[in-house]
Amino acid sequence: MTAVKFGIKLLALSVFLTLGARGLLAQSQVISLAAAAPSALTVTLQSGAVQTIAGVTDNALNNFPTPVVIQTAWNVKPGQTNTVNLVAYFSIPAQAMTGGAVQIPSSRIQGRMTTGLPVAFTPITQNAIGGVGAAGGSLALFSVVIGGANKTASRTDNLDLRLDLVGFPTLPAGAYAGVLNIRAVTQ
Amino acid sequence: MRSPLKNALVGATALLLVGAGNARAQVGTVSNIPTIALTATKEATLTVTPATSVASLASITDGSNANVFTPVSITTEWNLTAGSSVDLIGWFGTPAQALANGSDFIPSSRVEGRVNAAAYAPFTGAAVGGVGVAGGSLQLFSQAVAAGTFFGARTDQLELRLDLTGATTRAGDYTGTLNLQAVVQ
Repeated sequence: MTAVKFGIKLLALSVFLTLGARGLLAQSQVISLAAAAPSALTVTLQSGAVQTIAGVTDNALNNFPTPVVIQTAWNVKPGQTNTVNLVAYFSIPAQAMTGGAVQIPSSRIQGRMTTGLPVAFTPITQNAIGGVGAAGGSLALFSVVIGGANKTASRTDNLDLRLDLVGFPTLPAGAYAGVLNIRAVTQ
Repeated sequence: MRSPLKNALVGATALLLVGAGNARAQVGTVSNIPTIALTATKEATLTVTPATSVASLASITDGSNANVFTPVSITTEWNLTAGSSVDLIGWFGTPAQALANGSDFIPSSRVEGRVNAAAYAPFTGAAVGGVGVAGGSLQLFSQAVAAGTFFGARTDQLELRLDLTGATTRAGDYTGTLNLQAVVQ
């Protein structure tokens, strides 16, 4: 809520109370003050923001060498937030990685978060979550139920990635690049 | 005039309105979007695969070039990022002793090859692109490649024969090893 909106509402409250008190003798009035701190939700890549496979092997599983270490921190109101969710997604699933005119779709890129939802390698082909992600190019990494005990908290998870080229046409030689987005959302 | 109870109800309603605005703002909060840069490199490859590793000639006929070995099918595959040609070369390690029967030798000049029914030529050429042995090599093909054809393959039929015109061999088994190697230039 913006400060202006809050001020208007507070003014309305005062008017209501003042109108109701007209013509009465001095009577103690209680004015309740309410101020809302905005929710905070941040995602930080502690390591592994650059992932490289030096020599891709056709028709095989190709692991990216190191996990992506992701820290998610939040400060939310438990009565107004049910869950905090972390999502990985490619903006254009059909072109998750490209090399010239050759495209590797997101269905060929798999993610695993053993401390989250995809405990086994899972293709990044899910739909958006809470408006975050791309249809057919997303992967839900974790969902934390929010209560009083964890309304302000953080967690650190490892995301493992690999390229599944089993049954995929032989890749022309060259470099293939792509960008995987990470974002958290409350629901 | 309003009663104190009514005033309280009105005030509480106003407070609820304030709170309701807060609740709506909490749902759907999104974070920043850090990104992971993915890079995967497919290395260039060049492979030669003969369908068989043995070519045989049941009986040598002296003084003739009608000594044809069983043909060999050769598949050459390339997956490149640069270059102007893929060349396949056949060569003998020691040209003077291409085939041997004890101390009797048939030099590479007496061994001829061709692919896809072209004219036979002896294995007497120089190395190509650093591949082969001087005087014991034969370029079997040169395939032009460019940006649109950096990824391809071809299969060729290699035929080999001994040209023993004007020569006589001793009875016995002659064996030798023909090397095949492709190179990108």
